[in-house]
Amino acid sequence: MNYNDFKNSIIKSATAKGLTEYELYYTESENISAEALMHEINEFSTSSNAGACFRCIYQGRMGYASTELFTEAEAERLVEAAMENAAAIESEDTVFIHGAGDTYEKLEATETTEPSSTEMIESTLHLLEKLYANDMRVIDGSQTFTGYGRQRIALYNSKGLDLEHAFDYSQMGAVAVVKDGEDMFNSYCVKTDDFTKFDMDDIAAKAVEDAVAQIGKDSVDSGVYNIVLSNKMMATMLRTFFEVFSAEQAQRGLSLLAGKEGEAIASERVTIVDDPFCKDTFIRMPFDGEGVATRRNHVIEQGKLCTLLHNLATAHKAGVASTGNGRKAGYAAAVSVLPYNFYLEKGGAGSKEDIFAKVGEGIYVTALNGLHAGANAVTGDFSLAAEGFLISGGEIRHAVKNFTVSGNFYEMLRKIALVGDDLEFSSPSSCCFGAPTVMVEEISVAGK
Amino acid sequence: MIPKQLLQEVLQKALSTGADFAEIYVEHTKENNIFMIDNKVDSIKDRLISGVGIRILKGTRCVTGSTSSMERDALLACAGRVAGALDGVPECASVHLTERLFGDIHTVKIVPDSASMQYKTDLLKEGYFAAKNYHREISQVSANLLDFDHNILIANSDGLLAQDRQIRTRMNIEAIASNGTENQTGGCRPGRRMGLELFDMISPKDIGTEAARQAVTVLHADYLKAGRMPVAIENGFGGVIFHEACGHSLEASCVSIGQSQFAGKLGQQIANEKVTAIDDGTIPNAWGSFNIDDEGTPAQRKVLIEKGILKNYMIDKLNGRRMGMEGNGSCRRQGYQWAPTSRMSNTFIDNGPDRNEDIIKSIEYGLYAKDMGGGSVNPTTGAFNFSVKEGYIIRNGEICEAVRGASLIGNGADIIKDIDMVGQNLATGQGMCGASSGSIPTDVGQPLIRVSNITVGGR
Repeated sequence: MNYNDFKNSIIKSATAKGLTEYELYYTESENISAEALMHEINEFSTSSNAGACFRCIYQGRMGYASTELFTEAEAERLVEAAMENAAAIESEDTVFIHGAGDTYEKLEATETTEPSSTEMIESTLHLLEKLYANDMRVIDGSQTFTGYGRQRIALYNSKGLDLEHAFDYSQMGAVAVVKDGEDMFNSYCVKTDDFTKFDMDDIAAKAVEDAVAQIGKDSVDSGVYNIVLSNKMMATMLRTFFEVFSAEQAQRGLSLLAGKEGEAIASERVTIVDDPFCKDTFIRMPFDGEGVATRRNHVIEQGKLCTLLHNLATAHKAGVASTGNGRKAGYAAAVSVLPYNFYLEKGGAGSKEDIFAKVGEGIYVTALNGLHAGANAVTGDFSLAAEGFLISGGEIRHAVKNFTVSGNFYEMLRKIALVGDDLEFSSPSSCCFGAPTVMVEEISVAGK
Repeated sequence: MIPKQLLQEVLQKALSTGADFAEIYVEHTKENNIFMIDNKVDSIKDRLISGVGIRILKGTRCVTGSTSSMERDALLACAGRVAGALDGVPECASVHLTERLFGDIHTVKIVPDSASMQYKTDLLKEGYFAAKNYHREISQVSANLLDFDHNILIANSDGLLAQDRQIRTRMNIEAIASNGTENQTGGCRPGRRMGLELFDMISPKDIGTEAARQAVTVLHADYLKAGRMPVAIENGFGGVIFHEACGHSLEASCVSIGQSQFAGKLGQQIANEKVTAIDDGTIPNAWGSFNIDDEGTPAQRKVLIEKGILKNYMIDKLNGRRMGMEGNGSCRRQGYQWAPTSRMSNTFIDNGPDRNEDIIKSIEYGLYAKDMGGGSVNPTTGAFNFSVKEGYIIRNGEICEAVRGASLIGNGADIIKDIDMVGQNLATGQGMCGASSGSIPTDVGQPLIRVSNITVGGR
């Protein structure tokens, strides 16, 4: 049964049950990827998956149920399960099925080139050979891959919305593994773009350069340092702590930014934007997971908190309009608050080399590990295993081994002293995060 | 789930371009997750996961495909796409599937999906309010009751046809303590491969109380000063140190391609002689247990390290081919959309020779890590990390004041040599382990241990 047939079965079942406010949210994805190792393709995969979530207002409460099985009987079960689940909900928050009437951004078509299997296999092997050719010390290129993905999202509801949006993109990446004596080092480089636009030489060179740079690691003394966070790692921090900007978390007492709109919460060099139409990434959405028209939101402007991000329920509670961030972490999840392309805007401190020169002495952090455990978005605290380089005399000296950086995200926002101009976005999942290189003052480091 | 005749047809189609092995994995999983916050049932996730993963091998080449459609045309199309990545001629004769029953050693008394909503929400509320009413500083509590009814069928071109039904139940309570300007969190999240009778064994009230106690303790703790020091790591979830520092590097997925610190070291002393480590998928009702793994091999108990000597790896069929070894019941995948590979099940350091009180007494100045969060590792370099959720300073052999969350980091090959005291109170903790084949339930475990010297990230 296809989406339209399933939608009709749902409408039939919901109507028969006397429901008047309901919604069907549907996602469909197709992915294809080729991965190479030791001079040959070791894995090739294709997938074609779909899932649907039905939700309805029953007895004033919102109930959800979802499935990957598209049959008439399952449509009926879904409607019944959602009603049963609604009956068990105790939250008294006002719930909404959004009506028609919004004006949706007309996003220009972003259809990219879909590579053939042969093209993907050839380009993957080609990239792997470029890794080997780049440096004698490269012993392998694990997870060297080319991938292509397409996603379609559809939303239908009883209030007249019948929306659909699709996007696609290719990815290419490699892990260069280098050996120096007994020690091995690896580094990952992945790019997202149209398949025809990849620069394989650049991807290979970047992965190898970053792996080779780790050779000859030395330890640093424990202490307090000025830290330069690479653009990728600053984006990683935003991903990890994004929840502090969610009105849902704030209303639940899980963000210390509750009620701080209009106040200075960060250094005046900090401007943070969430842009669902951003041209630098492939995640562009005209509507959110509730069918509300999306919009570009300034979250922090020159250090001042402009708004938290809202869905319909949190906006109603706060007496404001939804910011169009009612999104789901996967089709089966309840509507929550999530960003699209959430990024720290470029600043005036120049390139990362300019920042090293301005800092003089410090540590340049190029990787942070264990974020799911060592960082806590409720408290803002982080204590993370890190990789990077010692900066001395305004230049990179040597790679640093075995150290941690510890601090608090809320405090860190105030301690961002320099913001560079090399804004870069992370690889897309359902949300993208971006940042330029930044310098944060006085962060605790554990080393030897 | 799918008629035998159709399974055979799909396998035949998958073999049509010269693969020497074909496999079909069929999944039908019911997931239920009741979520409470602000003293109320806030949302319920009710999901049916349903689909098929097809895999073919030719030597060490692997092609996989998945589809969420169970219809005949879609299955054959998926098999066709998979076969399309090879261009040879069929090698195998016809496929005949013979059903095998492996039995079920994990009893389930109350199948969660058949219990009433009221019964479940009552259990969750008991835990929730135990946390909420623990102390005036508890400002918020969030809680989940999660259950999975995971049904899998595996059929392959060797003729295997086997099924397993894996029911898992877990309660997860997170408490937030606040003094108005600062929040700190505490959590407790036990789970088992059993039904709702889990809560006859572990009371929801104890789960809530433990989460709240930890949050309040940490709110009143100071930050730990960073540096290198000896650390005593408590039992249960403390076993995450072995999971990260060593376990992942013993998975065939990295060993078979030479990207593990422990590749080629079978029979060698890699750890302190007090360390014996085991991966055991056969423990009745344990969180990481299964009757058969995700390629249909029965679960096994494997001694990985015996008195410091490397004895075995966790091996799946594909990587086993690279290593010239057989799969040993270690192949796992989150579901049909993931390609399976070697993973851990219930992995723990066994009881050792030291008395627990002697371990604490032996430390002049160091950290007692009572409860741990998760961590991660880069198996190629061996660099690992994990976080301490609740810790205490040890001074002159005595446990003193609480200190706030810190991370412990090191290199796997070094740290397992530095585990120089192993106590006698083996217990396990439950985690969700994320890697290339998805997020899977695993148990970690150990008795109290001492690591002679490790970098502690504090401030």
